[in-house]
Amino acid sequence: MEHAYLGIDVGSISTKGVIIDKQNNILSSQYIWTQGDPIGAVKELVRLLEGQFDKGAYKVVATGTTGSARKLVGAILGATMVKNEITAHAVGTTTFYPDVRTILEIGGQDSKIILVENGVAVDYAMNTLCAAGTGAFLSSQAKRLGIEVEDIGDYALRSTHPTQIAARCTVFAESDLVHKIQMGHPREDIIAGVCNAVAANYLNNVGKGKKIVSPVVFQGGVSKNKGVVTAFERTLGCKVIVDPNGHLMGALGAAILARRGSGRQEFDFSVENMEFSTREASCGGCPNRCEIICVYRGAQLIDSWGNRCERGAQVR
Amino acid sequence: MEHQPAVIGLPRAMLYYRYGVLWRTFFTGLGLGVAASPPTDRDILAQGTALAIDEACLSLKIYLGHVAALVGQCDYILTPRVSNFGRHRNMCTRFESTPDLVRSVFRSTGQKFLSYNVDGELKQDEQDAFLSMGRELGCSAGAVKRAYRLAKKAELAHFKEQVQKQEQLSRREGMKVLIAAHSYVIEDPFMGKPVTRFLKAAGVIPLRADLTDREAALKRSLSLSPTCKWEISREILGGIQQRRDTVDGIILLSAFPCGPDAMVNELIARRVGDVPLLNLVLDSQSGTAGVETRLESFIDIIRFQEGKL
Repeated sequence: MEHAYLGIDVGSISTKGVIIDKQNNILSSQYIWTQGDPIGAVKELVRLLEGQFDKGAYKVVATGTTGSARKLVGAILGATMVKNEITAHAVGTTTFYPDVRTILEIGGQDSKIILVENGVAVDYAMNTLCAAGTGAFLSSQAKRLGIEVEDIGDYALRSTHPTQIAARCTVFAESDLVHKIQMGHPREDIIAGVCNAVAANYLNNVGKGKKIVSPVVFQGGVSKNKGVVTAFERTLGCKVIVDPNGHLMGALGAAILARRGSGRQEFDFSVENMEFSTREASCGGCPNRCEIICVYRGAQLIDSWGNRCERGAQVR
Repeated sequence: MEHQPAVIGLPRAMLYYRYGVLWRTFFTGLGLGVAASPPTDRDILAQGTALAIDEACLSLKIYLGHVAALVGQCDYILTPRVSNFGRHRNMCTRFESTPDLVRSVFRSTGQKFLSYNVDGELKQDEQDAFLSMGRELGCSAGAVKRAYRLAKKAELAHFKEQVQKQEQLSRREGMKVLIAAHSYVIEDPFMGKPVTRFLKAAGVIPLRADLTDREAALKRSLSLSPTCKWEISREILGGIQQRRDTVDGIILLSAFPCGPDAMVNELIARRVGDVPLLNLVLDSQSGTAGVETRLESFIDIIRFQEGKL
C-alpha cells in the first residue's frame, strides 16, 4: 500500500483538507464552511475526504494541521505535525511555485505577506490588531449593497470609473462608502472602489515597507475576488497569479510538513463517528485564573492547554 | 509612644522596572518601609483598564491597576515625574504627567502620594529631585544625600549585573533573538513575560536590547537616528546597533498604542533591513493565540533560512 499524507487547515471562516501522495499529487480535497464549529466541520471534512479516497491503494501515515484551530483539531485527529498558517502557506506555495518571490494572502480575519528568496521564506508580516480589508469587511459591504459576496468580482470588473473610497480604516471606509451611495454613485463603481480600497489598505498596512517582487502569488478566500486581483495587478504593475487550488495551499503545506516531519501515526477515519467535546476550566491557583481548554473524546480527556504555569495542570 | 516608620508604596509597573532598586534602597536607607504591589495579574489589569481612558496605552492601564492595589495599604504611593535628562533626552509624556494624572484619578480616596521631579532642561537632576523629596519626608539633608548615594550605587551595580548576564547569554550557542522593548513591557507578567517564555520553550535564546551599557548605547544610537528625542528609545536603538550583526532576528515588542514605539519601530524597520524583524503589538486580549502564531512563524522563518525546517 502506498503512503499518503493528510493536511487540514481550519480557519475562522472555512475548513480545508487535502490528502496527497509522496509526489504531492492531490488524491482528495475538500473545502467547507467552519460555521463557528471547528470540531463539527472537521468531522464533516474527514467524511467527505474519505468518500473521494481510495483506501485500498493508499493509507494515511501522517497528519498535519494548521489554521487558527490547529491545536484543537490536531488533538482530535492525533496530528503528527501542528504548524502555524504562515509556515504552512509558505511551504505549500513554494512546493508548487518554486520561483515565487511574494505571497499575498487575505483570509477571513487575517491578512499576511510572505517574502521568498530561493524557495525559502525570508520575511513575513501579518495584520496587527486591525482586521481592516479582510474577507469579513468585503462580506459585510456586499451585504450592505445587497449582493452576494461571490458576485463582487464580476460587478467590479464592469466598472469603468471606480469610486474613490478612503482606504485607511474599515470604519472610515464604511462611512465613506455610505456617503458615496447616498451621493448617487453607481453600484459597480462603488464595488470596484471597495476592491481598490482592500488592495490599497493591504499594501499600506501589511505590505508596508516590504519589497514586492514578481512572481506574485495571491491566495486566501479574497483571492477568488477578481476585482481585488485586478486592483493588485494595477497597483503593483505586474501579473498576480491565483492558483485554482490557492484556497488549499495551507492544507497542502500542512500535509507536506507532515510528510517531511518524523512523526508517523496511521490516520483513523472513524474519528468522524466519535464524540468530541471541549470544556473550559478556570484555574483557581492564583489571581490570573487562566482559562484552560480541555478536549475530551467521549469521557476521556485527550489534551488540554491554556495554563500559564504548572498549577493549572491539576485543574484538568 | 513608639513611632512607626512611614511605608512607601511602589507600583510594580512602568518605571519600577528601571528604578525599583534605586527606590527601595533609598527609602530603606532612610529607615522607611517599602511595599511593592504584587506582580500584574488579571485583576490588576481589569482594574487599571476601568480607571484609564480608553486611548491610554496598555502600560499605563496596568500602572493604574498597580496604584489601585496599593491605595489604603501604605502611607504614601510614589509617583515620580521624570520628564527629561536634558535637551533631546526626553521621557515619554506619560512620565511627565504621571503624578498629576494619578492624583486626579485617585483624588477621592484620601491616599497620600509622594513625588519627585527630574527635569534636566530646568536644571533639576535626579539628585536634586531626591534631596527635595527627602526634605518633604522630614529627613535631614545629610541623611538624604547619603541614602541617595548608596541607592544610586546599588542601582548601577544591579544594572551592570544584568548587562553582564546579557553578555554571557550572547556568547551561548544557539539561535538568538533580540527583543527591543521597554523594560516595563518585557518584564511584565501580562505583556512581555509570555513572549520570552514562549521563545525559551522553543529553544531560542532571548536577548534584550535595553540591557546594554547606556552611555555607549546613546552614542551608538546616533548612527540610526541623529534626532530621536526619547531617552529609552535611544538606549534600545543603541542596543540594536550593538547586536544586530550577531543575532538571528529582532522582535520589536510594544504595548498598544505606544506613541514613541509607533515612530521608532517604523524607523528601525526601515533602517535595520538586513535582519529578520517581527513587529509584535500587545493589547489586553486574554488569548495568546495571535501572539503565539506570530512568534512561531517568525522562528520558522529564521530556521527556514538556516535550512533547518
